[in-house]
Amino acid sequence: MLKPGDAAPAFDLPCAFDDKLSHLSLSGIRSEMVVLFFYPRDFSFICPTEVIGFHKARAAFNAEHTSIVGVSVDDAESHRRWARELGSLGFPLLADAGGNLARKYGVFDDAEGTALRATFILDARRVVLYAVASPVNVGRSVSETLRVVRALRSGKLCPADWVPGADASPADPD
Amino acid sequence: MAALDPQAKRRTFERLANVREIVFGIQDGVLTTAGVLAGLSGAVAQRSQVILAALASTAAGALSMGAGAYLGTRAETRILRSEMRRVREESQGQPYVVQESLLAALAKEGLSREAGYRIVQLLSAAPQALYNTAEEKIYGLAGATFGNPLSDGLLMGVAFLLGALVPLLPFMLVASLRLGLIAGLATTAIVLFAVGYAFEGRLSDQRYPAVAGLRFLAIAMGAAAIGYVIGLLIAPLGAVPAG
Repeated sequence: MLKPGDAAPAFDLPCAFDDKLSHLSLSGIRSEMVVLFFYPRDFSFICPTEVIGFHKARAAFNAEHTSIVGVSVDDAESHRRWARELGSLGFPLLADAGGNLARKYGVFDDAEGTALRATFILDARRVVLYAVASPVNVGRSVSETLRVVRALRSGKLCPADWVPGADASPADPD
Repeated sequence: MAALDPQAKRRTFERLANVREIVFGIQDGVLTTAGVLAGLSGAVAQRSQVILAALASTAAGALSMGAGAYLGTRAETRILRSEMRRVREESQGQPYVVQESLLAALAKEGLSREAGYRIVQLLSAAPQALYNTAEEKIYGLAGATFGNPLSDGLLMGVAFLLGALVPLLPFMLVASLRLGLIAGLATTAIVLFAVGYAFEGRLSDQRYPAVAGLRFLAIAMGAAAIGYVIGLLIAPLGAVPAG
């Protein structure tokens, strides 16, 4: 799995967005930061809680100049049908058929043939700033991802459970 | 068009679930008693001793098999019910996990992920239907899995007793030890063939039910023959030393 400081592997993959099928490349994303989140499969019962969570929080991420991109091994048509099922999504879903992108990010589960539930936050140079993976049966926290984006954008040293508005700590040698 | 009567079909399946006790009981009763008769006829000279031993063996066997079936089914049922209760409690705390597992089980049976998702979503509107389906599809647990300890025990005991009478009655009715044994083994062979023919052959729609009958007969009579040989081998151990 990639770690903070690693260059994010580029991609140019089919995607579904706004009920249309198209392509999306990492270099084509213009936002300051990117939240790239891998999830196991479309048409599942845990993933929609996360995907809908990101959709509901998209305005807050936009305010942080951060794009959201979801990725799974399903094809783009499946993504489109699933997005319709969820009532349309405000961010693209990448079709990583075969799981090559998940392998490049080190989050492909060979036993399941799907990606792990993993989240990467990339900076403007598309370097990994934050990487986290959770078990397939545990959904991730969208609010925690947003908190980390805000903390990273603050440019300060943020203590545990830092929230915007709280004083950032000065550098602590311990 | 004739409509399917699910209740009648369910009752049929429940009755068929008892075939195991009936076949096991009859086969064991016939085989054990025929083995005792054959073995003791080789080892003991007096006919009355053989009959007494066979009667004692029949009584002990019927009670033991009946009690064994009762206790076995009771233990199995209790364990399964307890496991189902535990699974259901766990499932109710993690509905997403149940939904995901059921979805995976349906996909494994050939449904597309999208179709499976829609089915699970529909089932989720009625939690009882969701959990019942999940228990059956994921864990292979269903209400029909449970036996009735009392009926299983009674069926097994009675079947053993009836089976035991098959070789025992002719043996008791014929005065000669050797002829009685032959008569007992002959009725044993006929009944064993009939049980195999009926239960393994006809009820399970085998193309050649007679083959099932012969297989059943061969296994049972093979065991009786081995019992007879063992009786012959141990006979010298019972001989009273001279002097």
